[in-house]
Amino acid sequence: MPTELTKRTMTLNLTDAEMRVLESLSAQKDLSKTAVIRQALRLYQLLDARLSKGEKLFFEDKAKHEKAELMMI
Amino acid sequence: MRVRRKSSLKVPAREELVEADLVDELSNDDLINAHLDWGPARLEGLKRLREAGRPWPEHWHWDWSKKADLLDLLAYHCFGIVHGGRMQGLMMVSTIAGKGRLPGQVGKPVLYIEYLESAPWNYRELAEKPEFLGVGVRLLEAAVEFSGEEGFGGRVSLHSLSQSTEFYRKHMTDLGLDSGHPQGLRYFEMNMEQVRTFVEGRKP
Repeated sequence: MPTELTKRTMTLNLTDAEMRVLESLSAQKDLSKTAVIRQALRLYQLLDARLSKGEKLFFEDKAKHEKAELMMI
Repeated sequence: MRVRRKSSLKVPAREELVEADLVDELSNDDLINAHLDWGPARLEGLKRLREAGRPWPEHWHWDWSKKADLLDLLAYHCFGIVHGGRMQGLMMVSTIAGKGRLPGQVGKPVLYIEYLESAPWNYRELAEKPEFLGVGVRLLEAAVEFSGEEGFGGRVSLHSLSQSTEFYRKHMTDLGLDSGHPQGLRYFEMNMEQVRTFVEGRKP
């Protein structure tokens, strides 16, 4: 078995609405709630790193010929 | 770099297995060192291919030192196989780039293999006599294992260069040329049944 990486535990306070979304994503993606949060953190870090380099993030709807830039804080 | 667990590689000359370390948590320096170590053997191999009038491997220009910056991001992980103090193969995976396309796992997270390469002295096209065999399958094994740990059920996917499609077709489903891929490469994905078969087939 692989050696376990050290993991730290924290308490996450979520509103009911946030928890519902987390549960829904967890069921939809077939992932544990922890895994969903970890995925979100990875994605946020990646997007933040690329936006910090001056790159832009767009959503495109080819059928409607629409393209919108997503602003992220 | 951290030793994750023991693994093995085959020495074709003696038809025997040697112990190797499957490593992860690779640093930028580990990738740069591997690139420096592989450089002369790669050039030697390319020179031999040129002299023989044979085509170069499609990935001859891969530069692991340029991929090192990705390791600063949580989404990317690198695995390697070490034997005799040398990196025998490298693999980089992403936990956020893969989404299932096969029936039964559409939209589910899949561990995406960004790059997988054997050291030039182990690569059949480059080395006259490969020193070790099994690097690719050992790294694929690590990907399936890591996918399981991440909660992805062992599912893995990748886009394959045409030189490697035969290898991946043995273990994964070929979903054909992907028009959405920048180079239009073939897309491969492993479903749960293939994961089970693969894992069972690797048990000692």
